[in-house]
Amino acid sequence: MRFKSIASGFTRFGWGLLPASCLLLSVGLGGCGDNQSGLSEPAPVGGPALMRRLTESQYRATINDVFGPGISIPARFERGLRVEGLLAIGTSESGMSAFSVEQYDAAALSIADTVLGAEHRDRFLNCATASEGAFDAQCTTQFVQQYGMQLWRRPLTDPEVSSLVNAAHQGFIQLGDYYEGLKYALVGLLVAPDFLLRIERTQAPPEGSGPGQLDAFSRAARLSFFLTNASPDKELLRAAAAGELDTPEGLASQVDRLIASSRFTRAVRAFFEDMLQFDLFADLAKDPVIYPAFNSTLAADAQEQTLRTITDLLIEQNGDYRDLFTTRNAHLTRALGIAYRVPVPTRKGWEVSEFSADSNRAGIQTHIAFLALHSHPGRSSPSLRGKAIREVFLCQEVPPPPPEVNFSVVQDPSDANLPTARDRLELHRTEPSCAGCHRIMDPPGLALENFDGLGTFRTVENGAAIDASGSLDGIDFTNTNGLAQALHDHRETPRCLVEKMYRFAVGRDTVWDERPYMDYLTETFAVHSYSVPQLMRAIALSKNFFAIAPPTGETSHNLAGLSPANGATR
Amino acid sequence: MPIVRDDNLAGAAQWMAASGQYNRAARISLALLLLFYTSFTYAQLPFVQNGKAGFVISQFRYALPQDAAETGACPQGMSLNVQDIFAQTAAGKRLPQESDNEYSARLRSGGELFATAADGQNLCMNPEAGEPDPHFRTVDLSTMPMPGIDLDGGHSAEDRAENTCEHVAFTGTDGETGIDNQFYRVVGCSASFQSTGPSNGFDTEMLTGSWGILMTLSGLDDIVDDDSVEVSIYANSDPIQLSPGRKPLAYATYLADPDPEFSATTQGRIKDGILTTDPTDVLFHHVVNSMYLRRPLRAARLQLAVSEDGRLEGYLAGYAPVEAMYNVLYGYRDGKTSTGELAPLRLRSGSANGAAQVLGHTCNGAYHALYRYADGHRDPETGRCTSISTQYRIEALPAFVIERNENDIGQGISAERSNAL
Repeated sequence: MRFKSIASGFTRFGWGLLPASCLLLSVGLGGCGDNQSGLSEPAPVGGPALMRRLTESQYRATINDVFGPGISIPARFERGLRVEGLLAIGTSESGMSAFSVEQYDAAALSIADTVLGAEHRDRFLNCATASEGAFDAQCTTQFVQQYGMQLWRRPLTDPEVSSLVNAAHQGFIQLGDYYEGLKYALVGLLVAPDFLLRIERTQAPPEGSGPGQLDAFSRAARLSFFLTNASPDKELLRAAAAGELDTPEGLASQVDRLIASSRFTRAVRAFFEDMLQFDLFADLAKDPVIYPAFNSTLAADAQEQTLRTITDLLIEQNGDYRDLFTTRNAHLTRALGIAYRVPVPTRKGWEVSEFSADSNRAGIQTHIAFLALHSHPGRSSPSLRGKAIREVFLCQEVPPPPPEVNFSVVQDPSDANLPTARDRLELHRTEPSCAGCHRIMDPPGLALENFDGLGTFRTVENGAAIDASGSLDGIDFTNTNGLAQALHDHRETPRCLVEKMYRFAVGRDTVWDERPYMDYLTETFAVHSYSVPQLMRAIALSKNFFAIAPPTGETSHNLAGLSPANGATR
Repeated sequence: MPIVRDDNLAGAAQWMAASGQYNRAARISLALLLLFYTSFTYAQLPFVQNGKAGFVISQFRYALPQDAAETGACPQGMSLNVQDIFAQTAAGKRLPQESDNEYSARLRSGGELFATAADGQNLCMNPEAGEPDPHFRTVDLSTMPMPGIDLDGGHSAEDRAENTCEHVAFTGTDGETGIDNQFYRVVGCSASFQSTGPSNGFDTEMLTGSWGILMTLSGLDDIVDDDSVEVSIYANSDPIQLSPGRKPLAYATYLADPDPEFSATTQGRIKDGILTTDPTDVLFHHVVNSMYLRRPLRAARLQLAVSEDGRLEGYLAGYAPVEAMYNVLYGYRDGKTSTGELAPLRLRSGSANGAAQVLGHTCNGAYHALYRYADGHRDPETGRCTSISTQYRIEALPAFVIERNENDIGQGISAERSNAL
């Protein structure tokens, strides 16, 4: 096993001393990013400015925020690229295929049809003079500037506005209808790279040295996508234009506003959807003979259950992140009740309950969403589950199996001499090339063998009693509840969350020089009782969040002449 | 705690006593064994919670013997519909050079004569206005092995219950005598009730959620031997939950029909893994052509094998009131709309006459045959029996049954959950 995370790397070199020393170092170098914790942020390091493609959820959320709910987006989005465990990092590395462009085009046309159709256009056009039979240049300009700002996350330059107004005029000439022509201005906004890509732009460091900074509108975008999973709203764009994001008070005011908004839940859900790899549900299949309860409804409800558990604990209750691994809160639908074998009186929709203490359901790692996703179509998999626990929750990378490994033993559950997965894996581990990784993966995975390939509880496999005992990095346990407590108490559990959260926020892997910053965030997380909203606040308020590393030869996305304070020109 | 008995333990104790090994050491060993057994061997059954278990009926069909072609039950042939009857008359013979369409039209027209009473009433809507139909063939043979149970407790006319009528019982598939299934005699010569016919299939309506049946067992201590279990039977208010392969799923949650007419409770007992119950009247929903009907079964008993995985399999048997059975199967006279109003006459009459044509019977023939073979609930004034012994073959899966009573409404989830079986 390779300990991928740089934070985890500390454990290999003497964990006990480093945080304190880093903390001392940081006190001398950094400002005070999180006044409430009493900790000081180390000197910012930053990374490159990025171009990040909008995820599907960000695209949909942005359209929802800008034009309101009920706008149909009939498009199939290209699946994301998972890099270093996160789709968020892949957004800055994936390309854009011709298929994607077609889908974006179709989506844009559909959105434009709805927004500027007779039923809705009055909500979006404030021009009393507009009519079908005459082109209204002033109204068109106003429309382009208003929605261009919201969709492109910055003021449009005059040539950009002129180009889009001209597109609307040409459409009017060709189609003979003002609103039909105006649709092409909106389509132009929606298919532009400036909308589909989060193009980060930089500005010089305030003191003239050190790492650069994102410009105000790029700051607003990074902040907004992190805290609402969508483009900045009008208030945030206003604050950016007014230079308020350059001051600690102005920044804190906007951060607190966004965290207090209902859209914050959307951001937390987006992060955990990414961290828990829920995109893999698109490929999940189960043998209908073995697991007849599995269907698309169950798959959707299982994901929603885990996300509701997360947001309820972390946001509604402002609870301890580590409690996610021990919570028995149960958000259930009737479809889930079949798989969990519990009654769900509510006939439609969700009900909140609690798994009983003797149910062996403690923590999100015992949810259907985790257990079914990390299993085979026809059987459970201690190795897949153990690997997922290591990689998803502890940031410990397990390398892929060596080539030409004989899997026949573990893949044959019908062998009467090896009735349980533990039996089969013990034999499989006699292969030296497999033993190392399986020693790491299997103990937590075998602790979940009380759940079949769907996630339904069981006590026997092929007539033999299941032994769910094991050990996780020195913490011994005898059953799934013990594994839950071991995950809760594992020192890497909060550190891994910190690292993933930051990488999700900035869309890149962390670099070596950011180790003190990671320590700072981890300490801050602990000081705030492992509150995820507080962690996200600390990240958003930190200098490192907006810092841009000095150029190393890559292309800078600095847009010369674009000034937030006095309007945009290029 | 619900338990699974392990006969090996009793066997071990018996062996120790019988073999003279039952000394002090052995007693200690046995005590330890009993302790271990109590703690570990008695497995918790997931479908039993706090002595309660719920079930949803997953298979439901009439218990009938082999087809007439194999048993020789119908030496005169199968029942005819009105067009077949007309076709057997001189006027119903096909004319030379008569086209298929012309002959079909003439058969339909001629058949209507046999579907209409002398006073002009439609016989499906008014079957009592017609005479018994010799073309409605029934089964008088009693030699075929018959699935089902003994309902009246007596195997001879002398010791049958007082309110039954004279009938000849069958011998069961396992050799048990006294199996009462007069319903089979009525439908045994109908093509639609043979194994490939459509009348003995309930899957379409039940599996699409038109109706369903739930059961609960309360006071359940042992699924193998328990001398007192309270058994409740309900109509289901929720559609049955199915797998992608359209198989009913275990452990779904269902709401029992809050209408007390559609619930019944009786006492039962389990012996050697077989649940039997005292008789009770039950009432189920039935749906035909979007018409809502009522399927009652009086003095109904259960005989079900209980398996460790919570599946039930066996018989629901009792006496179906003739008038109600005629409505459910043949006439739909009291069919209601979804809002509880009497369905339009055109729908009821059209459905009944269409079914008679397609399924191969006459309504008056079926009606009079039901009364001819009726063997239960004798009317003391007329001496005529008013219900007919009927057996259903059923299977059930574990389920959570929510019983909502008036006091629970407004109490929220906690009250419902506490009542969930």
